[in-house]
Amino acid sequence: MFEMNIAIRHIRSRQRQTLFSVIAVALAVAIITISMSMLSGFTSYIVDATVENQPHVTVSPEEDEDHIYLYHGLLNYIQAQDGVIAVSPRYRGDCALQYRHNVEGVVLYGINPGDETKILNVEKDIIAGDFMSITGLGNRIIIGSKLAENLEVELGDAVTAKFPGSKPTDFTVTGIIRTGTQADETLAYANLGRVQDFYGKGDIITGIGVRVGDIYAADTLAEKIDCETGYDATSWMEGNREILDLIDQQTGFAYVFYIMIFAISGFGIANILIMVVMDKVGEIGMLMAMGTSRRSILIIFLFEACILGMMGVIIGSVLGYVSSIMLASYTIPVPPEMYFGLDHLPFLITPENFIIAGVFAMAINIIAGAYPARRASKMDPVEAIHDV
Amino acid sequence: MMSEEMMENMKKIIEIRNLTRIYGDGSEVRALDGVNLDIERGEFLAIIGPSGSGKSTLLNQIGILDTPTSGTILLDGVDITKASEKERSRLRNRKIGFIFQYHHLLPDFNAIENVMMPLLINGVKRSKARKMASQMLEEVGLDDRADHRPNQLSGGQNQRVAIARALANSPEIVIGDEPTGNLDSKASDAIYELLRRLNHEHNQTFILVTHDAQMAAKTDRIIRLVDGRIVEDSRR
Repeated sequence: MFEMNIAIRHIRSRQRQTLFSVIAVALAVAIITISMSMLSGFTSYIVDATVENQPHVTVSPEEDEDHIYLYHGLLNYIQAQDGVIAVSPRYRGDCALQYRHNVEGVVLYGINPGDETKILNVEKDIIAGDFMSITGLGNRIIIGSKLAENLEVELGDAVTAKFPGSKPTDFTVTGIIRTGTQADETLAYANLGRVQDFYGKGDIITGIGVRVGDIYAADTLAEKIDCETGYDATSWMEGNREILDLIDQQTGFAYVFYIMIFAISGFGIANILIMVVMDKVGEIGMLMAMGTSRRSILIIFLFEACILGMMGVIIGSVLGYVSSIMLASYTIPVPPEMYFGLDHLPFLITPENFIIAGVFAMAINIIAGAYPARRASKMDPVEAIHDV
Repeated sequence: MMSEEMMENMKKIIEIRNLTRIYGDGSEVRALDGVNLDIERGEFLAIIGPSGSGKSTLLNQIGILDTPTSGTILLDGVDITKASEKERSRLRNRKIGFIFQYHHLLPDFNAIENVMMPLLINGVKRSKARKMASQMLEEVGLDDRADHRPNQLSGGQNQRVAIARALANSPEIVIGDEPTGNLDSKASDAIYELLRRLNHEHNQTFILVTHDAQMAAKTDRIIRLVDGRIVEDSRR
């Protein structure tokens, strides 16, 4: 491969220019991999946060109904679907909680804690007490942290639940939960059976939460349940369409910027190669006189673009990787509730991002090298030789 | 048994018939105007003439660097004016060695690597190419300068390296376009002697374009061009 040999010598003989064009590519790759890691990290944080805090699929009553009656068959049916990991029946009702003179409106969830923890990681948000404490008999309740503050209750205090038409019932606070969202002001969990008793409507529920293995298959499952049972099933994607669309849009914009950054670094490569070609006219003529084909001349300069690009990609990837790790460990001094509970930059370093950035950079460098390489290969050997 | 005519053809390495090369579109310049020329294997000849007479144009035609407007050139029996671009590159590599006024060595390669280059282009293995190139450098008396780059050698030395490179692939025709044009008379003489010696040792055909009447006078055959035509063809 004498073409490669010549390409390497050309590059070695102009180290300073090589250095600058490699730095340009490396910076482009580094900036883009950092940006991609941040975008991936943010996306995955949002998706995780969304998916963690709500069921992948939520099944609601049929149209014009408030409740799901005879839900045990439906539970079995959903549990039997492909990819379903767990189901959790829920009764969601409004009521007022009273502690001494304090009264707060709450959203009371009646759940089976064993089922609920399989579909949502509720336990991680428990800051006092125990989520499983509501499993057995006895009226126990877990309430949001803000709600606890507003009611001025502590673990072990008894609060009274009131609802028109229901008998006021005392619940003992056995846990406090903090999700980091506004729900902390209104959220309350109690045992499904106790809640059903409280509302006095029998063994009925208002919805079913479903967890699936592949979160991106939730759409299909929801549609299937919807079609086959007539109950209203929605996936987490449907429920968060806006934020997901926003992320897609952001990603699209980001890619436009990536292409622009790469294009700028591509000009650097094109620039150095145009200079090499102008500088080497006589040499190109001589190579042709020695029998080098036009194709080989083209290959020589494309190799040069590849070598410069490759060096830039390797250095840039290392730089991007190290910087991402360093930035990821940097704690942002802001109140966590301002940025979705984030206190550090969410980086997700995946090989795909580096591959995409590398392939992109190489492609643009080769395109940048194509023009000077073509010009070199189209030279008239007679004119080229006498251009000294 | 071969006939006399066939024997005669065997000896001919180049047969040029009615070669015409016209430059330009509007005001055309007939750089070559119906040139007919036969050159035999092993000849050592000079093409002379005033500037603009078509010497270099003729040389570029023989060297397959340029294509004629009309006419044919048979190189070893093959009509090179009809060859494809790829075939022309291949023929240039295998059949022809060039020496120009300026040495045109690749500045980023040392002497031996420069001499190896036509061999590598020809697909010869690196180790073999190195051996052959080193032998060529020895022939031009520069085996002790093999590691030097062109900028570390004198004009005469560079021209010797260029000669070694031109001869590396054992081409049948060596073309010199003012090969001593950039050198002082002492270096010129040395280069001439070298070319002459190589011509004797390898029986390759040498075609030199030169302004140097003294040098031309020492060749076996002088072809004088004026206005794209051969006006004199004399042998010694």
